[in-house]
Amino acid sequence: MKRNTFKLAFILFVAASVSATTLSLIYTVTKPKIDEYRTHTLQSNLKEVLEGATEFEEIITDTLWRGAASSGELLGIAFKVFPKGYGGPIETLVGLKVDTTIAGIIVASPAEGMKETPGLGIKVREDWFRDQFRGRKQQELLLKKDGGALDAVTAATISSRAVVNGVKEGVERYRRHLVEGE
Amino acid sequence: MEESMNLFLIFLSAFLVNNIILIRFIGLCPYFGVSRRLSTALGMGMAVVFVMVVSSWISWMVYHWALVPNGLVYLRTASFIVVIASLVQFLEMFLRRNFSHLYTALGIYLPLITTNCAILGVAFLNIDYGHSFIETTLFSIGTAFGFTLVISLIAALRERLDLAPIPESFKGNPIAFITASLMALAFLGFVGLFGLSI
Amino acid sequence: MMRYFINGILRENPVLVLMLGLCPVLAVSGSLRDALGMGVAAICVLFGSNLVISLIRKGVPPQLRIPIFIIVISTFVTIIDYTMQAYQPELYQMLGVFVPLIVVNCIILARAEAFASKHSVFASILDALGIGIGFILAIGAMGFFRELLGNGSVGGKIILGQSFHQNPVLFMVLPPGAFLVIAFLMAAMRKWRSQ
Repeated sequence: MKRNTFKLAFILFVAASVSATTLSLIYTVTKPKIDEYRTHTLQSNLKEVLEGATEFEEIITDTLWRGAASSGELLGIAFKVFPKGYGGPIETLVGLKVDTTIAGIIVASPAEGMKETPGLGIKVREDWFRDQFRGRKQQELLLKKDGGALDAVTAATISSRAVVNGVKEGVERYRRHLVEGE
Repeated sequence: MEESMNLFLIFLSAFLVNNIILIRFIGLCPYFGVSRRLSTALGMGMAVVFVMVVSSWISWMVYHWALVPNGLVYLRTASFIVVIASLVQFLEMFLRRNFSHLYTALGIYLPLITTNCAILGVAFLNIDYGHSFIETTLFSIGTAFGFTLVISLIAALRERLDLAPIPESFKGNPIAFITASLMALAFLGFVGLFGLSI
Repeated sequence: MMRYFINGILRENPVLVLMLGLCPVLAVSGSLRDALGMGVAAICVLFGSNLVISLIRKGVPPQLRIPIFIIVISTFVTIIDYTMQAYQPELYQMLGVFVPLIVVNCIILARAEAFASKHSVFASILDALGIGIGFILAIGAMGFFRELLGNGSVGGKIILGQSFHQNPVLFMVLPPGAFLVIAFLMAAMRKWRSQ
């Protein structure tokens, strides 16, 4: 009886070990390529949210950057916020110009961990929703149904509100970095 | 007062407005498999309440007291599944001994609770929403009750549908799904309750 | 042998007949593109899982079936997840989110238990392909109809005119629509099979 249990436990152990070893291997092999791709995507995203900027200085690791034009002139900052959406945190990259208006936003894709509803909440990634943020100041960041000027995605209020509030709070938290030396 | 209103809204949102089956669309497999008899559905519902609430407690504790302080967050999926699988195993042994008729009625769907998207989903949602322990409790209870309510409703409806005159190709599952469609449409009506949205 | 292949497409269609893996089918079939993405990811995992489980079937003690199957399936899913991220990042942007969802897709585990653990490797592969194609057809049909009526488009291209696109039958892309479309597809399948 004891022998049988031992045998079962052993087989399970072997299976788990094979699995763990295989996965460690795969992870080690793929990690450099994945990191490389991530860095590349981040750079192109930063350039997209803060138009005109070519050089980015990381102020807070993976959260805040200062963007400058090739001439060295400070154009603004870019930061990441993770407001709580419907299915989880919605990673949003925001570009803020020195005149404190929003330059643009990019919402992460489902492949990058965004877990909003397919076909609905996911529409916060669409151009029409993102373009609403351009040129807005912090006080203007409010949905129409909350008294402001921004349209929410139909049947995805929680997702839309999350992004709007996330951007607003991000501006509040990071705007002081627009002044160099902070 | 604020605090209890907040807790009430968390419960209500999980129970009705963002009902796990009809709105969030998670945990559907048992919805159609176990719902031909009201008694079976209720039994399934209670099993899920148990597993969902207890597993979300344990997952919460494991996450906040063991994983986060030690930088092991990436182990959360694996550890949550282990917690759930163990609970289901324990439940299976308990039911087989004390409620054998329910055990047989649930059949394959009992071990399948382990892979039920709803249980794992709730564990993750509680973490992602940053719920405190009490908020987790209310969210999980609300979700589990919402689950039980919905599968019981459809079981009761299906018991009657079995006796109704229905075109041959629609008998059984198709008409059940049309019923579910109407139910989901009805639940969409809860949007806006106490200002809660989807 | 070919019987194993055809079986999964019609007589034992995983979605419309066996009623497995409904969570992802209903949730992810709001548009044709999402539906097909899910289908492709699922068939890849099913193929690998059936293959491996059929290979090791003689060495698995009956009491350990489920845990071992789950280990195999989740390992496989993780391998696909990471290798796709590294070597096919564009494809990953489209399919990536569906891959982890497949771990809880009942179809994979059910097929491992009901078929792959009891049949030869060749038969299991055929079964996986048949079931996989059946899955893609079912979920694809749903994606097609739901997107057409709920958004006025097919694969992102608006074909029912702008005014319909502005005011589509919105509930089609919401849960009620999913239930409705699958009900009709099931009834159609039933009718077709009885003839």
